[in-house]
Amino acid sequence: MFGIDLPGAGLWTTSVGSLPKPPYLTRARARYSRHEIGRAELKELELQATKEWIEFQNSIDTDLVVDGEQYRGDMVAFFAEELPGLEIGGLVRAYGNRYYRKPVATGPVGRDHAVTVKWWKFAQSLTDKPVKGMLTGPYTICDWSFDEHYGSRRAFVLDVAAAIRDEALDLEAAGARFIQIDEPAASTRMDEFSLVIEAMEIITAPLRTHTITHICYGAFHDAYPRMLDIPVDQIDLELANSDYSLLQSFQEHPFTKYLGLGVADVHSHVLEPVETMVEGIRRALKLLPADRLLIDPDCGLKTRTVKEAQAKLTNIKKAVDIVRAEL
Amino acid sequence: MITTTVVGSYPKPPRTDQPGATNEFELRRVLRALEKGEVTPEDLRQAQDRLVAEVISEQEQAGVDVVTDGHVRWNDLVTPFAGHMAGIELSGLLRYFANNVYYRRPVCVGPVEWRGPASIDAWCYADSVATKPVKAVIPGPLTIARLSLDDHYSSHEKFVLALARVLAQEAFELEAVGARIIQIDEPALLDAPEDLPLAKRALEVVVAELKLSEVVLATYFADAKRLGAELFDMPAHVFHLDFVSGPENEELISLMPPESKLQAGVVDARNTLLESTSHVGALVHGLLEAMGPERLSLSPSAGLEFLPRDKARLKLERLIQIAGKAGE
Repeated sequence: MFGIDLPGAGLWTTSVGSLPKPPYLTRARARYSRHEIGRAELKELELQATKEWIEFQNSIDTDLVVDGEQYRGDMVAFFAEELPGLEIGGLVRAYGNRYYRKPVATGPVGRDHAVTVKWWKFAQSLTDKPVKGMLTGPYTICDWSFDEHYGSRRAFVLDVAAAIRDEALDLEAAGARFIQIDEPAASTRMDEFSLVIEAMEIITAPLRTHTITHICYGAFHDAYPRMLDIPVDQIDLELANSDYSLLQSFQEHPFTKYLGLGVADVHSHVLEPVETMVEGIRRALKLLPADRLLIDPDCGLKTRTVKEAQAKLTNIKKAVDIVRAEL
Repeated sequence: MITTTVVGSYPKPPRTDQPGATNEFELRRVLRALEKGEVTPEDLRQAQDRLVAEVISEQEQAGVDVVTDGHVRWNDLVTPFAGHMAGIELSGLLRYFANNVYYRRPVCVGPVEWRGPASIDAWCYADSVATKPVKAVIPGPLTIARLSLDDHYSSHEKFVLALARVLAQEAFELEAVGARIIQIDEPALLDAPEDLPLAKRALEVVVAELKLSEVVLATYFADAKRLGAELFDMPAHVFHLDFVSGPENEELISLMPPESKLQAGVVDARNTLLESTSHVGALVHGLLEAMGPERLSLSPSAGLEFLPRDKARLKLERLIQIAGKAGE
């Protein structure tokens, strides 16, 4: 287990990963997809947006910073575009009127170049606070892709795990002290939970950094306490959108890792009052000490507007300051 | 010759081998414009009508014998029906079974009541543009209940039976306008074998007033092994089983009573890999031996909307090839 070497007594503030793209970047991405601007012009704006988000996090004194993923369309497609063996496939619907290009495994998946390291270095150069390395977990990449090559979910997942491990090792070598491997799909099929664990072991076993995974709500009550077997130091969970009901499970089976405590619902335009967040943190403190808690939104904030996301992050910081004063 | 059909949904984006195909297709544009108040619900209906006609013609050209409207007007099977009932509101997004696809969770806040037909106009339009028989598809009461949150009935049983009474009205109306094949989808039954007796009582309510229709009971995304022979006590003439996600379903075939028919999902509706004709042929050969050609129809494993449009069309063509070979 790798602890947290951050200043202070705990209740460190952070974000789950994605942050909203400013309107100028959304427009530029649309123009890029219509071939109206080039890659270089788009990248310039991605760098600018990343810089703005780091500056914002600096301004509210965030303890553990994220780069905000301004250069990613979605968390699976981004890796599918970069890893050999995966291709971007045809358009499928996710919900409502939202569509995405679902990746396809067309050959053995590997990794022939670092995918996130340059972005991590850029973000880290803009702040004195540590920046998280952000990776998508192998189980989620495979579960959210078609498979035309493997015919075996396990073989597919384990190959992707090796590719993500190599990326994690490169992030570590570049200086990342916190590496997050997101597995939002992990709690969808409990009969494959051992595969989630096996794949994560491949990635985290050689790392000497603090490791984190984020799991979305899904079938949480089926997945707990089993999720404590995932070999990471910290699990980040959505608490706010279930009115902190997950905390009840911790009374029965103690939570044995660092907890990323989500205190802002990312699917709602409504800004949670500081007092509600304070109350949520206090409830968590009855079960876990402050130096095992990180405070953040429930999930990536990319579906909110920039203003909404900033307001939520600002309130989180205010709530943390209030509770810290009580410690 | 073995009959072929589909389970229900079909991809909405255009074929990419057609001129001018982009991510920004008509239905998507119109839905967005409607949200901004730039077009009317009538514009949306016309765009949907055009796509229904296109999707039906695509199925017919592929050679499918019994078609659907592709659920082109719907986001999923559950919310158009649940959301249309009095007593139900739609809330936040939840994952639809173990797929990376989301639906708005229905919340029951008062007595569930019929508020007029939810699918009659859609079925009638599809029937008017199709040359082949159009199957009507509705969600089963157990599946609606298990995908919903019940804040009103204190009992799961009461909630399921209340939903069944509303769906009975829908089924009755579908038969009245001419639907002769009505498929009732109960995928949630596979995760809840303990609910089988309740699902049976509820299905009896749904089909009580039907006189002419062939009733298809569809389960998919897994095998029905845990339901055992009792599955076939459900009041349906045809049972759809998913042999892709549930190869173990082969063991159930010998338990089917002689008067019941099998709609076998043999082509993977959730993965783009095009299955080899010979591999599926072996499965179909076994099913044909057990059932005989009169009692067997073939289909994709589930609704095809999990796939890109081009792949869905290729899957249908493959299905027809497999059925043709088996019928030789």
